[in-house]
Amino acid sequence: MRTDNSRGEVQEPITKIDKLIHEPSRYTLMAYLYVVEVADFLFLLRQTGMTWGNLSAHLSKLEVAGYVVIEKEFLGKKPHTTVRLTDQGRNAFEEYRGNMKRVLDNLPAR
Amino acid sequence: MVEDINLKEIQRKVYMSFFQDGLWDIFLGLFILGWGLAILTEAVYLPGVYFVVIYFAIWGIKKWLTYPRIGYVRFSATSRRRITTRFVILLTVVLLLGVMAGVLWGIGTRPQWLVDYFPLIFNGMLAAIVCLAAYWARVNRFYLHAALIFLGAVFHLWLGIRWEFGFIGAGSIIVLIGLGILIIFLRKYPKIVEEAHSEDRQ
Repeated sequence: MRTDNSRGEVQEPITKIDKLIHEPSRYTLMAYLYVVEVADFLFLLRQTGMTWGNLSAHLSKLEVAGYVVIEKEFLGKKPHTTVRLTDQGRNAFEEYRGNMKRVLDNLPAR
Repeated sequence: MVEDINLKEIQRKVYMSFFQDGLWDIFLGLFILGWGLAILTEAVYLPGVYFVVIYFAIWGIKKWLTYPRIGYVRFSATSRRRITTRFVILLTVVLLLGVMAGVLWGIGTRPQWLVDYFPLIFNGMLAAIVCLAAYWARVNRFYLHAALIFLGAVFHLWLGIRWEFGFIGAGSIIVLIGLGILIIFLRKYPKIVEEAHSEDRQ
């Protein structure tokens, strides 16, 4: 559905797509975090198949945007990092899904 | 919808990851073995003791063996409630089955068909419970375990094998299947220590 912005210009849903979430690796991370309450680094590593560096970089971007919270602790002497979506992150992900659905539903038939 | 199917698939994948270590198969196998030993020794309390001991042992082993290999996840409160409710239902049904078996076998006069077919009825109900667990957990190999449990009674009735040996045989096979899955799991997922990769995250 097309909407008008404050200047009366028509905006296509595609312009509202959150580019931060739209990146495939970050979308995958957000999707995994969306279906759970908390996941640790190792779990996300195993499920997504990313490297440590890749995973860390993407999660850092999501953390800067306020979509995830990264908590570091020690279990004995071993570092343990857990990640969870913030309310802002959940809302952003749901909005992203809604916008993508609208974009795909509005595609013309062949 | 594509988005919904994708999320459901991810949720399923997350959920299934906790059955890929074979430990729940070993738990079930040992529990079934316990039933056999209980009948053999007439120690009716054995299945209950087994259940409690093995259940807590399995969680301990998961913390030591599984989580350092595939990581840790906490499901949402809704999912946890659903899992707990289903587990309590299964446990209650198993307990009721045990009590019913004890009462039926303990009463003086029993109909002949009950005497003749009791193992089939009992094993069939136990297999049905395992099938329900398989359906809820969506772990297809649990249907095989249910079939093995039922076959124990079939072999007792038609081949004359002692009833308790059917349980011991089925339980042993299930434990072996679980051990095989565990070995594959340990080879596929070596332990990863987070600190070893901390330099990659700078």
